[in-house]
Amino acid sequence: MKLELKGIQKSFGEKKVLQDISFSAEGGGAFGLLGRNGAGKTTTIRILMGVFPPDEGEVVFDGSPIGPAPSGMGYLPEERGLYPKKKILDQLVYFARLKGMGRQDAVRAVNNWLERLDMTEYRSKRLDTLSKGNQQKIQLITALAHDPQVIILDEPFSGLDPVNAMLLKDVVKEEIARGKILLFSSHQMNYIEEFCDRIAILNQGRIALQGSLHDIRRNYVRDRLVVHAECREKIMADLGDCCTSGEKGELLIRLDSPEDKQRMMRLLTEKYNLDGIRVFEPSLNDIFVEYAGGPES
Amino acid sequence: MKQFTTILRFELENYFKNKIFLGITLILVALIAGIMFFPRLSAGFGKGAEPVGKDQPVMLVMPAEGMDADAVRAAFAEAFPGYQVQTGEQDADGMRTRITSGQAECAFVLESLTSYTYYVNNLSMQDSKTSRADEAMQKLYRMDAMMESGISAETAGQILAVGIEHRTESLGKDQGENFFYTYLMIVALYMVIILYGQMVATNVAAEKSSRAMELLITSAEPVSMMFGKVMASCLAGLLQLAVIFGSACLCFNLNRAYFEDGSIISSVFDMPLSLLVYMLVFFILGFLIYAFLFGAIGSTASKVEDINTSSMPLTLLLVAAFMVVMFSMTGGSVDNPAMLVFSYLPFTSPIAMFARIAMSTVPFYETALSIAVLVVSVFGIGVVAAKIYRVGVLLYGTPPRITSILKAIRRA
Repeated sequence: MKLELKGIQKSFGEKKVLQDISFSAEGGGAFGLLGRNGAGKTTTIRILMGVFPPDEGEVVFDGSPIGPAPSGMGYLPEERGLYPKKKILDQLVYFARLKGMGRQDAVRAVNNWLERLDMTEYRSKRLDTLSKGNQQKIQLITALAHDPQVIILDEPFSGLDPVNAMLLKDVVKEEIARGKILLFSSHQMNYIEEFCDRIAILNQGRIALQGSLHDIRRNYVRDRLVVHAECREKIMADLGDCCTSGEKGELLIRLDSPEDKQRMMRLLTEKYNLDGIRVFEPSLNDIFVEYAGGPES
Repeated sequence: MKQFTTILRFELENYFKNKIFLGITLILVALIAGIMFFPRLSAGFGKGAEPVGKDQPVMLVMPAEGMDADAVRAAFAEAFPGYQVQTGEQDADGMRTRITSGQAECAFVLESLTSYTYYVNNLSMQDSKTSRADEAMQKLYRMDAMMESGISAETAGQILAVGIEHRTESLGKDQGENFFYTYLMIVALYMVIILYGQMVATNVAAEKSSRAMELLITSAEPVSMMFGKVMASCLAGLLQLAVIFGSACLCFNLNRAYFEDGSIISSVFDMPLSLLVYMLVFFILGFLIYAFLFGAIGSTASKVEDINTSSMPLTLLLVAAFMVVMFSMTGGSVDNPAMLVFSYLPFTSPIAMFARIAMSTVPFYETALSIAVLVVSVFGIGVVAAKIYRVGVLLYGTPPRITSILKAIRRA
């Protein structure tokens, strides 16, 4: 199972919103679509879901182009919202039926999911009587009830308490284990790091970086050292501009070249009384800030 | 198609579970049943009631000096059968007091056989007593003049009592008879279009403001969404009208014996079947053309509050059509140039052409042409509205200008 975006271009009027977006995601894995607000994530997802066609390029699922409102996809939008005054079961069955399920199957699937997410007691209640977190769980069911092959989750963890976040994590892991394609869009990098094996970072409508998270980390230029020491001021005074203070009191020392790291580590260890020294390993957050950090569009 | 039927069912269920929708329907049915059963009930309660006349209002007539008070009283009693006519001496203050205190409703103070003053506490807009009093006075004057010329009172009375028989045969429609039901149908059509059209627009805007639209646009095709909504409201409106008119028809037939033949209410239920068919055709086509546009307007609004402003031009169009038709109907000529033009314009023809068919004789080709224009327009407007809807549902913020919507449609 493979979902591919090939050379997607999209403009609204004079404004180019997406330029040459290409990536692919495979079954049994999670793909992280990252980017700052306005980078083009929602437009990419809308093209993926067939809401509007791209100006150029195509979206292909297992070799076939995707049409409008594809039933094989489930979507949890960032902007949550269902019918506030309607009964939960009624609206969940309605959305499942819009995705092509028969009435009986839809009722069965919705009931299963309500039970799975500990929401059965709310099935006959109106949506607006539920807390925000519970409403989000209900909305999640609209993305999953019809058993789609591709699941797109936009900020799925925002607004969930730790217990519900754990429940959602389990659900996500189960769906990945069932061979589904998961597409994540989130600003909470810890979740992306936990689930996604591949990512793409969008910056002003272009892909600034993409690939497997492991490779991205490994290929990241290893030209910084992290130093923990009591004599921070002395080291900073001696090294000048190439030494900066980190958020947790550590020192970050930028090297002229990655090849210098062994020599520099030896030098620092000999000269100062250090508590610890290591090569800087970038977090996904650091990578994101570096690649998606352009001006907001 | 499957999505369309799913949406249609969901939207219809929304109407049928809506307490306001059910409440209004039941209240109207109860109200109509009340009206239809009123003659039967009042006939039942009327048995053994006081004889007519005791509670009749008092009318004072004060003849001038030298007039025959009995003849004057008889003439006024004949002209005003619903009144107790009392004659007496001229006493201006006493007369005024009796009127202002409510003991008498009005007074005629005769100065001569050709002039009088009419006194009444509050002059109603529909007060036509002076014209009837003029007739009574003319009769008295002629009687007096004839008697002065030597004609006996009996002969003079016979001459004046001669009535003229006449017959009217309308070769086309009888506008007097058709007016009420045409009026009723046009008001019903106007109300249903406005109410349900606004409901369609509000539903769409509510889906946008609650952000349910985010999920809907990725679950269903916009065209199915809009057509499902519009058709559901059309069916709900038709069903509501059918229930109201159906129950009215049932109640009328149960109480038919209590309604006079040719009365206003009887005329509604004796409406020709062909007219009912035309009503149905114009209702469906007229409703669809407006509902599509209301749906499109709803899609461009981000908040429900924006609907009133955005739908103003469309509502004004319908109000204008309604006013022209109403003025033409009350003016007695439904075939005036404005109505002829309105009969072929798709936004006005549903009520204008229907009024003409009901109250005048319209050649069949004109009716067919009007319906054909309407059918083509419904499809055309449906396509345009679906395009606006497709673009509109994705637009948030202040309602866009028409030009920017058109640009977006072209881009899409």
